[in-house]
Amino acid sequence: MSQVLHEIEKKIITSLKVNPKQTPEQLEKSTSLSTDQIRRGMEWLKLKELAIVSESQSITLSLGKNGLESFHKGLPERRLIDLLKNESKKLQHLQKELGSVFGPAIGLARKNNWIDTSEDEITLKIYPSELPGEKTLKQIGENKIPKNEVDIADLSSIMKRPDFIIEDIIKTREISLTENAESIEITAGSSNAINVESKVPDVFVARTHPLKDTIDEIREIFVTLGFTEIIGNMTQPSFWNFDALFTPQDHPARELQDTFYLDGLSAKKIGTSEQIRKISESHKKNWRYYWDINEARKMVLRTHTTCVTIKHLAENKPDEARFFSLGRVFRNEKVSYKHLVEFNQIEGVVVGKNATLRDLMGIQREFYRRIGITKIKFWPTFFPYTEPSLQTMVYNDRLEKWVELFGMGIFRPEVTKPLGITKPVLAWGGGIERIAMLKYGLDDVREFYSNNLSWLRSVTKCQ
Amino acid sequence: MPVVELSYSRLQKLLGKISKKQISDSLPFLGLDIEYEDKDLIRVEYSPNRPDYSTDLGIALGLQGLFGIKSGAIKLNIRKSNDYAIHVDPSVTKIRPFVTGIIAKNGRIDDSIIKQLMAMQEDLHFGIGRKRKKSSVGIHDLDKISFPLTYTTSKRDHKFTPLNSEKEFTISEILNNTKVGLDYGAILVNSPQVPIILDSQKQTVSFPPIINAALTTVTTKTRNLFVEVTGINKNDAENMLSVVATILQTAGFALVATKISGAKNTSPKLEQKNISINSELINQILGLNLTGSQIIASLKKSRLDATLKGKNIVCGVPSYRFDIFGQMDLVEEVVLGYGIQNLVPILSPSQTLGQTNQISIKLKSLSLIMIGLGYTEALNSSLTSKRVLYEMTNREPKKMISVLDSKSQEHTILRDSILPGLLENLSRNIHTSYPQKVFETGTVFSQGNPIDETTNLAVISAHQEATFTEIKSILQSTLKTGFNLEAEMKTFSHPTFEEGRTASISVNGKIIGIIGEINSKIIENYKIRVPIVGFEISLFD
Repeated sequence: MSQVLHEIEKKIITSLKVNPKQTPEQLEKSTSLSTDQIRRGMEWLKLKELAIVSESQSITLSLGKNGLESFHKGLPERRLIDLLKNESKKLQHLQKELGSVFGPAIGLARKNNWIDTSEDEITLKIYPSELPGEKTLKQIGENKIPKNEVDIADLSSIMKRPDFIIEDIIKTREISLTENAESIEITAGSSNAINVESKVPDVFVARTHPLKDTIDEIREIFVTLGFTEIIGNMTQPSFWNFDALFTPQDHPARELQDTFYLDGLSAKKIGTSEQIRKISESHKKNWRYYWDINEARKMVLRTHTTCVTIKHLAENKPDEARFFSLGRVFRNEKVSYKHLVEFNQIEGVVVGKNATLRDLMGIQREFYRRIGITKIKFWPTFFPYTEPSLQTMVYNDRLEKWVELFGMGIFRPEVTKPLGITKPVLAWGGGIERIAMLKYGLDDVREFYSNNLSWLRSVTKCQ
Repeated sequence: MPVVELSYSRLQKLLGKISKKQISDSLPFLGLDIEYEDKDLIRVEYSPNRPDYSTDLGIALGLQGLFGIKSGAIKLNIRKSNDYAIHVDPSVTKIRPFVTGIIAKNGRIDDSIIKQLMAMQEDLHFGIGRKRKKSSVGIHDLDKISFPLTYTTSKRDHKFTPLNSEKEFTISEILNNTKVGLDYGAILVNSPQVPIILDSQKQTVSFPPIINAALTTVTTKTRNLFVEVTGINKNDAENMLSVVATILQTAGFALVATKISGAKNTSPKLEQKNISINSELINQILGLNLTGSQIIASLKKSRLDATLKGKNIVCGVPSYRFDIFGQMDLVEEVVLGYGIQNLVPILSPSQTLGQTNQISIKLKSLSLIMIGLGYTEALNSSLTSKRVLYEMTNREPKKMISVLDSKSQEHTILRDSILPGLLENLSRNIHTSYPQKVFETGTVFSQGNPIDETTNLAVISAHQEATFTEIKSILQSTLKTGFNLEAEMKTFSHPTFEEGRTASISVNGKIIGIIGEINSKIIENYKIRVPIVGFEISLFD
């Protein structure tokens, strides 16, 4: 058995190996440790079952005031018979010699028939060589001695005399080693050992937000898939959020109840005059309504990051490119466990003359594979600005159901043509919170923004 | 997304020997998401561009294609007739210029058909009808009406008995005292004349787009129907009519044409349109190598007609499929017919190298510095409330940017500062152990041209021994480590902070932020029991 022992424990064991049963006081002397160190050491050794502590009780005797006087001057009756040893004495004379002890002494002498009394003359009849109690007095003297060392019969003769014998009851603890401890070899080294098994306080690690971790993870995946990140404003003219994406001005999605319009704010400059003209023509031709530029100027909180991408494409008209945009988007919704008014979205595009729908699906599949989702399928869906349009369904083992994730499609010619984009544009995007919810096993999306420190401090970081 | 309620047993009646599982497995491949399922009942979400899916009859047409029961386009068999004329009076031109219609005869109407037709009507009104503004539809019992009809206008004191009522109302009463009147009356603006359809006996048939007359109510006893659509645009009105006509024919009715004339109105044709597409384009977009006949078979499964003409495919699109604008829409129809599940994803090597945005990189580095200094990252909405932004922190609102009609009181104003949100966060953590050290980076908004968006960093520290010195050290280390900058601090006054313990932060002579001990009143308002210090700075200017 190998045990790490504290220096205190080592000293106690060493001493007990020499002297197998010791009281704490004895150990203090033999080890030169303090009272407190001995107390702690004994406790540790007891817990480790290396030592046992036995408790016993003993009685000691010492002499009281009268006992001590008798020890020095002799018992009262001894002093009486010593005075009478050589001659008879007058009562008054004895009274004067013995003082306060005269009474008890004369009483005892009479009772034991050691003396004769005639008139006031006292004469000794027998001179006893040793009186009861004298042996005990001599034995105790000025010391404390265990009761079991004295002659109980002799002791009892003086036990009852007032202030003669003091009895002390003493409890003693004695420590001895167990068999386990006997086999321990005390060696040098590991002299700073502590109790490594005890509990310690929690330290809270400062950390990035779990949702930010998911965002970073997703960003890195798309960068490594060849996508370049672009950034744009959260406040956008309706023109880029809706009109440029072929969403007619009377479309239900543009109503106040779905989109946040900014009170009284319109953009003066929304695009080049050619962009505005061509987009308005496309709307008039395909949707047959009066296209109002003032409607396009109205500032909204972007409902998707697609507005950032389409503007970037319109400004750069690349033939071959991969972009993504990542950030907050807004919907005028009632906040609930599954809906927020503001959440994060990633959205990306592939531009290229050979870009196909199967490539778009392949990029999605690869992305899901990298975040650990392998069970996926594609379903058709509808977006005003893509055709064909698909959505991904992923299987979640915890929820035991298919969950809708990213939407995707190829930008409609009605979107790309007016902006001078000639190559096919594959586009995809979706909410990040939903992915993070799957990752962290959350059922309430509001948790991400409640900044509950207990939760932030407890989320497993490396997952 | 609109929702339609279906029953498996009714679908099975329409489809023949198809199992429940086959149906539920196939619905998503028509773009229909199953939202709820209970025994015989299924509720599915359909896309607003497919109003034909607003009834089980329309969905059955789609499923017939997928299961191979029937293929190709649905042809409307409309018998020509001179019996059903509608004359349009020029007075409608300024208010609701167009009317169109069709007759549907000899159908069997039961409660479930009535339910499906009513649901369809609602969805058509809401979606392509743009809440009845663009176009609206009325379905009437044909046998209660004597033709020819007149689509004209009347004054607001015109009286008739509206649907679901037993007594006569004037137009004004309907507009002012009934729910539909109040909901849709605004479409008629304040025009003294309103649109009305009268029959040859001067009986009121309909008051579009508000309500039909009680006279023509459709019941289970009705055998013959008259459908009218009115609107502000001829094309859109005919589109809506074509959906209803297709559904009624599918339900077993025989269609008969109406004859419409006057004030630029003409009879509806509801004809197929032909769109031609190159098969190479289809294969190029899909990444497939389909033969002409494979493409044709796929289009037919999607209930379209298709014939091969050299390398081109001529596609016949029925009038109710007005969601098909051009060639790319046909590509989608091909892939739906071919089956998305048969498309194998491919991962082609990227022709471009990816790059993270510089701002993202800097913000990441900054957050690592804050972590190193012992601060945990928080995230708050940028759309927040007046209470959090101003009231709780004693700040003066100036040039707030607010949103219209928010459904949530906690989200009405764009933040111009991050710090108030962090204070709010701490107030919700008063039972969690201290010290609490939190930071957030994010966008703040201010009115500009029209809106300026900048990135800020806010940092707060709350614990029994929090002092100005502590937070000033943190600021100093952050600026030095992150940007090799040294800031100058000058005594400053700000209602959020404690007087005499607040400073402005300047870099190169320009104020970039504020630092100090949070005002004890604010801490008290938030029922926090420890001092708080903090700062907020603008980044990247």
